[in-house]
Amino acid sequence: MRAGEFVAVTGPSGSGKTTFLNIAGLLEEFTGGEYWLDGVDVRGLDDNARSKLRNEKIGFIFQSFNLIPDLNLFDNVDVPLRYRGFPAAERKRRIEEALSRVGLASRIKHYPSELSGGQQQRVAIARALAGSPRLLMADEPTGNLDSLMARGVMELLEEINRQGTTIVMVTHDPELAARAQRNVHVMDGQVTDLGDEVSLRRQKAATQPDHAAAV
Amino acid sequence: MEIRPILSALMRSKVSMILIGLQVALTLAIVCNALFIIGQRLDLMKRPSGMNEADTFTISSIGFGQSFDVQSTINADLNLLRSLPGVVAAAPTNAFPLSNSGWSSGLSLAPGQRTSTANTAFYFVDASGVSAYGAELVAGRDFKPEEISFRTPNDEVMPRVAIMTRALARQMFPDDSDPVGKSFYFGGEEGEPATVIGIVDKLQAPWVSASMVENTLLLPSILTGGSSSTYLIRTEPGRRDEVMKDVEEKLATANRGRIVRGLRSMEERRSQVYAEDRAMTIILGSVIVALLGITALGIVGMASFWVAQRTRQIGTRRALGATRGDILRYFQTENFIITTVGLIAGGVLAYAFSLWLMDRYQSPRLPWHYVPIGFVCLWALGQLAVLGPALRASRVPPAVATRSV
Repeated sequence: MRAGEFVAVTGPSGSGKTTFLNIAGLLEEFTGGEYWLDGVDVRGLDDNARSKLRNEKIGFIFQSFNLIPDLNLFDNVDVPLRYRGFPAAERKRRIEEALSRVGLASRIKHYPSELSGGQQQRVAIARALAGSPRLLMADEPTGNLDSLMARGVMELLEEINRQGTTIVMVTHDPELAARAQRNVHVMDGQVTDLGDEVSLRRQKAATQPDHAAAV
Repeated sequence: MEIRPILSALMRSKVSMILIGLQVALTLAIVCNALFIIGQRLDLMKRPSGMNEADTFTISSIGFGQSFDVQSTINADLNLLRSLPGVVAAAPTNAFPLSNSGWSSGLSLAPGQRTSTANTAFYFVDASGVSAYGAELVAGRDFKPEEISFRTPNDEVMPRVAIMTRALARQMFPDDSDPVGKSFYFGGEEGEPATVIGIVDKLQAPWVSASMVENTLLLPSILTGGSSSTYLIRTEPGRRDEVMKDVEEKLATANRGRIVRGLRSMEERRSQVYAEDRAMTIILGSVIVALLGITALGIVGMASFWVAQRTRQIGTRRALGATRGDILRYFQTENFIITTVGLIAGGVLAYAFSLWLMDRYQSPRLPWHYVPIGFVCLWALGQLAVLGPALRASRVPPAVATRSV
């Protein structure tokens, strides 16, 4: 993947999309092949190193939002920043900035249950963006939203991408996938439409900093 | 440390926090006071009587029939006892420590004094008394054989010489470093005073719970109440049980006109006299163990429930960059906060409980250091109890975050 790309990963249920996302997001280990993330070979990294890399380089947006219901928006967005070890003032600045970016600065003290599904997903996006990740992994980001809210979230993701953030979005919706710059289709655990470009990209990603990730 | 967000999250589920906090509070209050009571009882039981308890025993005799002569029986018995192998000293006595039965009265410094200077137990003994008790004579002298006489409880004139314990001497003559040779009066009597001729380091009164338990006066008389007599026998170290058997048999056969009974070692008497205190310490100890166990189980149960309930949250935190250590610390910090809230309430409750015990049972005030020590112990217990569930939580894989609900 090149830096700044918006890639959609598509495929039917059970095709391996989530497994791909888990591996790409360093949530699961892989048994074969190699994976370079922002110039770092992630093979053989221990759990702590993977956690640190995940925290610094990757932002996650989940289908079910995965906000912590007992924390207000400020504290929800603060979760990955605390693990990053940023000082309090820096965290506050980033949280306010991220929530402003998704249009929820005025709801900073609200709890997730007080927001609509679309707003909750925007909080999740703010949480993912607050740490300035190299890569944003979105797992069916509109899967739990009605079409109006889904459109709003997609527009937000496109805007974030336009501002330079690399996005990988897993979706089974061809319409949403069509809005991405590039599609990767997964079928029965196999990537079916990359062809010969794979080896070339792998080489480049390992040596060139303008690649967010290469597998 | 994530204290503020953890506290805010806990405030959203107050019931759980209140329940565990209350349990911790009650545990602290009860455990502190129970430990204090146990400590008091143990101190009480540990107090030395001043006797050589390991090698000493007592035996009594009650005569029957018209021809029974108590004085000649006592003289014969003492001769017999002192001749037995293994006997170091034998003396007739009316009372001894740990017996919960005896004679006490007030002593005064002036004739006709209306309020006694000190109250004390009286031990009527012969010249072997101090030795038979195994008491340590630290000043003055022991009784001489010529000072010994027989007396009954109705005799009004008391002996004119006496040996007292150091504690009694301190109370009677607080300004004198050497009380030997000092005079005193029995109760409010007038006339000739009695004289202190010796001081023993320690010899408790018969009543273990009496406030004047350390005040004892030894008097040179053999007290005979009716036809009964009691002997105190000290043996060579390690020969007590053997001598006890021998003494019982010899006394029984030496005079058929009496019944020999009450053969008991001082260790047995100590065990009997403190049986209630021992039972109390066992019961309170069991209560403490049970309470700590229940509290620990409560914490384990609640933490396990929370881990199960928050598996997805934990996975999300891991996905967002939390290490296993971060998750472990999260649950430990959460437990620390809940325990601390409970402990603060428990500290107040512990002192309130102590005040109630003081008011109701004249119990001494709970020393301040029990509560901070209780804090540390319950913090440790909480951390230990939450460790298992917290370790389980730390093993939740980050991929849980992407699993479908």
